[in-house]
Amino acid sequence: MADELTPDELLDKIDYGADSGNWMDTTKSVQIRPGMYCYAAKAESVETLGLPNARPWNPVEEDWKLPDDWQQILHNGIKERLERFRTFKIFMDVCVRCGACADKCHFFLGTGDPKNMPVLRAELLRSVYRNDFTTAGKILQNIPGGQRLGGNRPLTLDVLKEMWYYFFQCTECRRCSVFCPYGIDTAEITIMARELFNLIGLNIDWIATPVSNCYQTGNHLGIQPHAFKDMLEFFVEDLEDITGVDCTPNFQKKGADILFITPSGDVFADPGTYTCQGYLILFKYLKDKYGLDVTWSTYASEGGNFGFFTSHETMKRLNAKMYAEAKRLGVKWILGGECGHMWRVIHQYMDTMNGPADFLEVPVNPITGTRFTNAASTKMVHITEFTADLIKHGKLELDKGRNANRIMTFHDSCNPARGMGLLDEPRYVINNVCDNFYEMPPNTIRENTFCCGSGAGLNAGENMELRMAGALPRATALKHVHEKYGVNTLGTICAIDRAALSTLCEYWVPEVEVAGIHELVGNALILPGEKERTEDLRMEPLPGCEEEE
Amino acid sequence: MVNTQDLELHLDEEGYLKDFRSWTEEIACALAEKEGIDDECPLSTERMEIIKFMRNYYEKFEAFPILRAVCKNVGQPKECNYEQFPDPVKAWKVAGLPKPTPEVFAKIRTTG
Repeated sequence: MADELTPDELLDKIDYGADSGNWMDTTKSVQIRPGMYCYAAKAESVETLGLPNARPWNPVEEDWKLPDDWQQILHNGIKERLERFRTFKIFMDVCVRCGACADKCHFFLGTGDPKNMPVLRAELLRSVYRNDFTTAGKILQNIPGGQRLGGNRPLTLDVLKEMWYYFFQCTECRRCSVFCPYGIDTAEITIMARELFNLIGLNIDWIATPVSNCYQTGNHLGIQPHAFKDMLEFFVEDLEDITGVDCTPNFQKKGADILFITPSGDVFADPGTYTCQGYLILFKYLKDKYGLDVTWSTYASEGGNFGFFTSHETMKRLNAKMYAEAKRLGVKWILGGECGHMWRVIHQYMDTMNGPADFLEVPVNPITGTRFTNAASTKMVHITEFTADLIKHGKLELDKGRNANRIMTFHDSCNPARGMGLLDEPRYVINNVCDNFYEMPPNTIRENTFCCGSGAGLNAGENMELRMAGALPRATALKHVHEKYGVNTLGTICAIDRAALSTLCEYWVPEVEVAGIHELVGNALILPGEKERTEDLRMEPLPGCEEEE
Repeated sequence: MVNTQDLELHLDEEGYLKDFRSWTEEIACALAEKEGIDDECPLSTERMEIIKFMRNYYEKFEAFPILRAVCKNVGQPKECNYEQFPDPVKAWKVAGLPKPTPEVFAKIRTTG
């Protein structure tokens, strides 16, 4: 926890009038400061993945142990990507530096550091692009003062270090893109920058090790199949205590109707585990009432994809197991759990990276007949779409009273909200399982949602000051509804959020708890043959069942 | 009373025991002392139950357990890891087990 800084001290540090001199100057910004950066990737993890330049190194040391020809590698890397990705080329050329994005970034709002304005963060890379790849840049480099004039910078070690520092202070949340008149997707720029860093071995451990785990065992936590099964069995035991019903799931059941994949965080840590129990209750209900067969997999045991924060190739490798397992098991389509970036990967990349998945069917909810045409090509449906559809058709028997103690608001996770437009379904579900729901202010929700401050692989421990600074705008909106309406629960549909927002709340708004939406569904859903429930999924007394004082 | 000063500990640079098989209850005392947890040796029954469960779990699964599963299995209150140790990762450390993967730190409440 940001041991060093209290919330008040952190607020005092924000200085929007910071004079950083000329933006092209790197001298101030390359002072990489503890609390603001993540540790370097372990050589072992980089090696497992077969990525270049595996060696121990430390960002705060002078020598980053780069290959001798690192400048050439990066130059070629940029060149190749400019040719391969038209988006990248356009985003390098088209920005007019209007500044519409400047104050939209949670990291800028939380730190006041001008290099956290999305425009300026992107300029760190654009300046190199202009210098090396544009005609004007090539001419200007040879004229005294020409580089300053054009905003061109040669790729020096300081420029590289500055880029590294600030591109790991971006959570790829894309809030800035919503406001960009040209539609520049800053996340794409960060993605490219990080991909370039990986060419010379400059990843962070918080990304590289989960990726390496996922590559070896199928999930970020490195949970092996027998452990994964044991963890779900533990939830089944608890659920039996709570509901009196045995919710044992299927594992890699061939011929099941649907394959279910969720982020591994949900099977491991609170409060995600309660969400996981909610899934188990829902699947049991659907099996008993409608005969729907859902299977889990201990191989495709990760919905998330930290490869997305490494490189396109790595993302593709980790993603491949979803379709591979669906094919092997012969299911009709895939259902995905509550996760954030997982959905950007699925919605925007999976189909073209590892598809087309012709062996799967266009998802149809067999219980309601609804055809999910939005998922016609990916063959993968988000669980809140699925549950909202079931509720809409009156297929679930729900007791809202069991969530009566929850005064809810909803945090739109960046990727489902901006990356796939999933805005109304979670709200619809919440309103049907719970009576008290209040929105945070309009400029902080839906497409305008503020990031948790810890996405895109930055949910480490060592960069807590950065995370809590980035969390400030979200926390401020939350505090507002907490004070105005007595909100005590922050709902979310992302596994990173369930961990990151818990830390955010603890730091900024300690009276608020975090809960996944299917935790609330699990509480409300009346299972056939259940005993009279007295406890919620957290094994706390249900409203009305509290012990007399 | 064992004098923990006399024990030679083979730790990695972050203070995790290098070989979990070399763990003994005396080593647990020394590690606990190093982590600023206790000066009582042997460690209390409650702590020892947690540690032993973690060790068995690791041997079986090479994974960090679900925290409330630890407490349920040893018959202690839900927050037992936090009540008995300032932080569950310290319990893991005292149990002589290797450093958990970053995602573990990301997902559970720890003091870092």
